Amino acid sequence: MAAAMAVRALRALPHIRIPALPASCSLHTTPPRLKTRAARVRVGKGDKAVTYEKAHPPHYIAHRKGWLSLHTGNLDGERCAAQRAVEDSFVRRFLHGTFPGCLADEAVLKRRSNSLLVCLLLLRRLPPSKLCFLLGYAETLLSHLYKCPVRIEAQTVPDAAVYKYL
Amino acid sequence: MQLLFQRWRQQVAAYFSTPAASSREAQQREVSTRRRGRMSQLIRSHIPPRTERMAVDQDWSSVYPTAAAFKPASVPLPIRMGYPVKGGVPPPKEGNLELIKIPNFLHLTPPAIKKHCAALRDFCTEWPSALDGDEKCEQHFPVEIETVDYVSAGTSIRNPKARIVTLRVKLSNLNLDDHAKKKLIKLVGKRYCKDTDVLTIITDRCPLRRQNYDYGIHLLTVLYHESWKTEAWESEKTEEDMEEYIWENSSSQKNALDTLLQIKATENVSNVTKEELLASEVVRNYRNSVIALKNEGETESNMSQYKESVKKLLNIQALP
Repeated sequence: MAAAMAVRALRALPHIRIPALPASCSLHTTPPRLKTRAARVRVGKGDKAVTYEKAHPPHYIAHRKGWLSLHTGNLDGERCAAQRAVEDSFVRRFLHGTFPGCLADEAVLKRRSNSLLVCLLLLRRLPPSKLCFLLGYAETLLSHLYKCPVRIEAQTVPDAAVYKYL
Repeated sequence: MQLLFQRWRQQVAAYFSTPAASSREAQQREVSTRRRGRMSQLIRSHIPPRTERMAVDQDWSSVYPTAAAFKPASVPLPIRMGYPVKGGVPPPKEGNLELIKIPNFLHLTPPAIKKHCAALRDFCTEWPSALDGDEKCEQHFPVEIETVDYVSAGTSIRNPKARIVTLRVKLSNLNLDDHAKKKLIKLVGKRYCKDTDVLTIITDRCPLRRQNYDYGIHLLTVLYHESWKTEAWESEKTEEDMEEYIWENSSSQKNALDTLLQIKATENVSNVTKEELLASEVVRNYRNSVIALKNEGETESNMSQYKESVKKLLNIQALP
């Protein structure tokens, strides 16, 4: 504002030549910080308990982490990788909703020829009868949806295994 | 504790929303006993893992009969997996997702494999004793068919690459005379390999493997029969069409004969016929050396043989 007024005042004097400045407010900006935020848990005060899976960002896959989903679609010359990926994402959402708050860690999906093997790590939040019912329900529904045998191998742990505190 | 009790009461009340026709007291007693049973189930501690009750000499193939994910409570090994925290050790096997992610071969121990082989032996037949070598196999079964089956993980067993059929046969096993063999080689072109004398036919133009196999056999039959026929236009075969160099009626023969006749004329020898010249040893040697040079290419021995034959032909003894 002050700058604009000064420019106008200077322009009023006939013998002074000043370049025509565009009339604008100045904005104070910082340079853009392009930080990847994919699948990373940011370091905090040291009270956040984090599993091995969450503690390692994606560039550690094949170095310190394995793959959560195993199938042949991503090999050279093989087909239907995209269909497997879509099926995987649906199955993970389905399990997240079917076992609310009981999943200790991500589900591991293994495909062996036609069948889908789901390996779950569950917390002991639900009584065993309810857990058995939900497992059977999930197996039946997924088999009917995908027209292939679906087996769930569930393990229960008292708490999610803490790898470190961030 | 109170909160848990209240929550259970609500859940049970919801479950028994339409009570059966019975007295109110009996109903309440039923509800309370059921509630107590569920509570004790939750409070009861979980049973210890199976590993603590495993004998050292147990039958492992009954613990892992088929391929299964890693179960820490069933595998009595103190395995750790994962990158250790700074100043720490790799994480233990309980709740370890990395051990579950990897494929394991706990179901394929040597005793388990022995059991598989014993079970499969009933379905196996002996290899025929008459076919005890590769030559015998080739003699009795000259045509080799190669097909590929593709196995992948997914809901579909179809793979379009599975329809490709490769047919391989050695031309020496086929009954072909000289003309038929040359015609067949001209007909198939690149599909014949001269070094191994193998004709390879790869068919994939039909959608099914059976159709491609039938087409391949049909091609082989047609090639065989066509190569035995001699068409009228085959008599117009020129020197450029020949597969190998033939000395008879070639320019080399003409030149040699003309030269020799001229030499004989200057020496005033009585007329020597062409047949006599052709039959003479020097001309025979020259013919063989030229044929070897043209067909096999230029090698040390071929060139020296040609040199000797030319020297003998022109009777030049002095030069080395």
